[in-house]
Amino acid sequence: MATLAQPVKGPMRPNIASADIQLPAVRDFEQVDNEIAATLGPSKGWFLGLALSVAAMLVGAGAWTYQIYDGLGHAGYVPPVMWGVYIITFVFWVGIGHAGTLISAILYLFRAGFRTTIYRVSEAMTVFAVMTAGLFPIIHIGRPWKFFWLIPYPNWRLLWSNFKSPLVWDVFAISTYLTISTTFLYIGLIPDIAVLRDREQNPTRRLILSILSLGWRNTDVEWRNFTKAYLFLAAFSTPLVLSVHSVVSFDFAMALTPGWHATIFPPYFVAGAIFSGFAMVWTIAIPMRKWWRLEHYITLNHLDATAKVVLFTSLVVGSAYLIEFFIAWYSGVEVEQSYFWNRVFGQWWWSAWIMLICNMALPMSLWSQKLRRNPTWLFILSIFINIGMWYERFVIVVPSLSHEFEPWQWTNYLPSWVDVAFIIGSFGWFFMWFLLFVRQLPVMAIMEIKEIVPARRKHAAVHGHGGAH
Amino acid sequence: MAYGVVANFRELDAVVEAVGALKKASVGKFTVYSPTIHHELEDAIGGGTSKVRRFTLIGGLLGASFGYWVSIWTSEYWPLVVGGKAIASWIPYTIIGFEMMVMVGALSTVFGMFILNGIPRIVVDPAYRAPFSHGDYGIHVDCAPDQESAAMDLLKKAGASEVQRAR
Repeated sequence: MATLAQPVKGPMRPNIASADIQLPAVRDFEQVDNEIAATLGPSKGWFLGLALSVAAMLVGAGAWTYQIYDGLGHAGYVPPVMWGVYIITFVFWVGIGHAGTLISAILYLFRAGFRTTIYRVSEAMTVFAVMTAGLFPIIHIGRPWKFFWLIPYPNWRLLWSNFKSPLVWDVFAISTYLTISTTFLYIGLIPDIAVLRDREQNPTRRLILSILSLGWRNTDVEWRNFTKAYLFLAAFSTPLVLSVHSVVSFDFAMALTPGWHATIFPPYFVAGAIFSGFAMVWTIAIPMRKWWRLEHYITLNHLDATAKVVLFTSLVVGSAYLIEFFIAWYSGVEVEQSYFWNRVFGQWWWSAWIMLICNMALPMSLWSQKLRRNPTWLFILSIFINIGMWYERFVIVVPSLSHEFEPWQWTNYLPSWVDVAFIIGSFGWFFMWFLLFVRQLPVMAIMEIKEIVPARRKHAAVHGHGGAH
Repeated sequence: MAYGVVANFRELDAVVEAVGALKKASVGKFTVYSPTIHHELEDAIGGGTSKVRRFTLIGGLLGASFGYWVSIWTSEYWPLVVGGKAIASWIPYTIIGFEMMVMVGALSTVFGMFILNGIPRIVVDPAYRAPFSHGDYGIHVDCAPDQESAAMDLLKKAGASEVQRAR
């Protein structure tokens, strides 16, 4: 099931095509099991990371408690800027959640070999990012206990949700995405949990792993149905991942607000989501491969391939920024022109230039093969892209609302300490789940890596690259 | 309770050879265990196409129908009359129809895989060995007691590293 192209002919060149990526330093199945299972051991660094994440999460939880007790007035909203950090951070985390499904589903269907060792960590990242994103609309509505009103359910007043509202579309899109991403992650994990079950000595842990593995036995019938189910899940997830951020973009594009009412929003949002999601994969995977000495699994060729995706999506996002300016000028609508001038050279110049430098200028360094294969630079760049993409959403939300049609409505906006606490809390919440995941379950797909590794044979292999082809 | 014999194999080509020999000899139904997917092995077994796709199709159609139905029915039931706009508008409702198609279709795919694989499995498979998830391959031949010796000989000849009775 691992995605493989034809075997590499001749020596591996450093700038090898993505689909030809192999793992020459991984010799056999036992090595795969032993090295990936070794990542599950406890360490001081893990406890420290978890403690910091929980502390950050408590900052956010404290701010939420305070806001529920004392009201939404603490959120820093200044009419008419009634969407602020909460919606910005919601869109940011939904975007982060896109790379996981792109890597696990879309790249699977495209047979892109570089996905095999990074897709598990990306899928887990997706699930936790969407869990984080899902909190923000609930925080934003001010009375979170009424959230269930958005869900259509039979009730004695015979009231139903308005299916023409983008907010209801969001509920359907995000909940479907969370459900399917979690299912996809779990289905891929079942054979790997069976590996852990069979290695486990502790009876309690073995029992838990037995339940989670559902009694998986690696039979031919199980693999046949598993492969087909995985393929269909990938086929469903592919349009789903593209639809989710399109639906999120409709939250903006369906309004007449200057800067929002644009038909390019769905592809612009999807490209931005993939761009930011890959950056977060670097933020997580680059330290991970170093700490657990997994450089021979996530090789420089893998990083090189992901860097090309980032470079491409940066060009798409950059083009979208420029097209927005062009359309504002070309449309001849004065309100649009005034808004875009104010965005880049007026009141919000600083945020727009953070966005343009981080998302358009710095990723151009990836034209250099040397930098694409430099993990330290990729990690630093990933931090800049994460910041740049948060600011992209800031630039979309705040400058539009603060500079609408009527000049007397024009205003300023500054996030309050409660807003900042929620941002810190969201990172704490995300990394807390992620760290708990990597401690308990394999961060790489054992079963799929075994597909790449040449199988043992009595006679020399005729295919030259093992049994999986 | 499983009967027959179970064999461990260290090499992929050995298990492929054993599968071919078992099919020729017709000593009984057999199950092959493999730590990962190998198309070479899959081709040797020749198990046919999985029926999971039927669950996917039915689930997808049901989900899409439900998505459109719930949005159209509720709009007609409690009409929001805005100017000359349609009360039930299929364009925005396509989002609901699409999301429900994906949700129900994907979950029914998983359900189908569970049904066809017989999981969650609460009964221990006596033929299963822990090395089958680690690095070894395995074959369990479910045969009558009088055919066990023939099956054991066949598996050993193909290159099995260990052959036992599955009890």
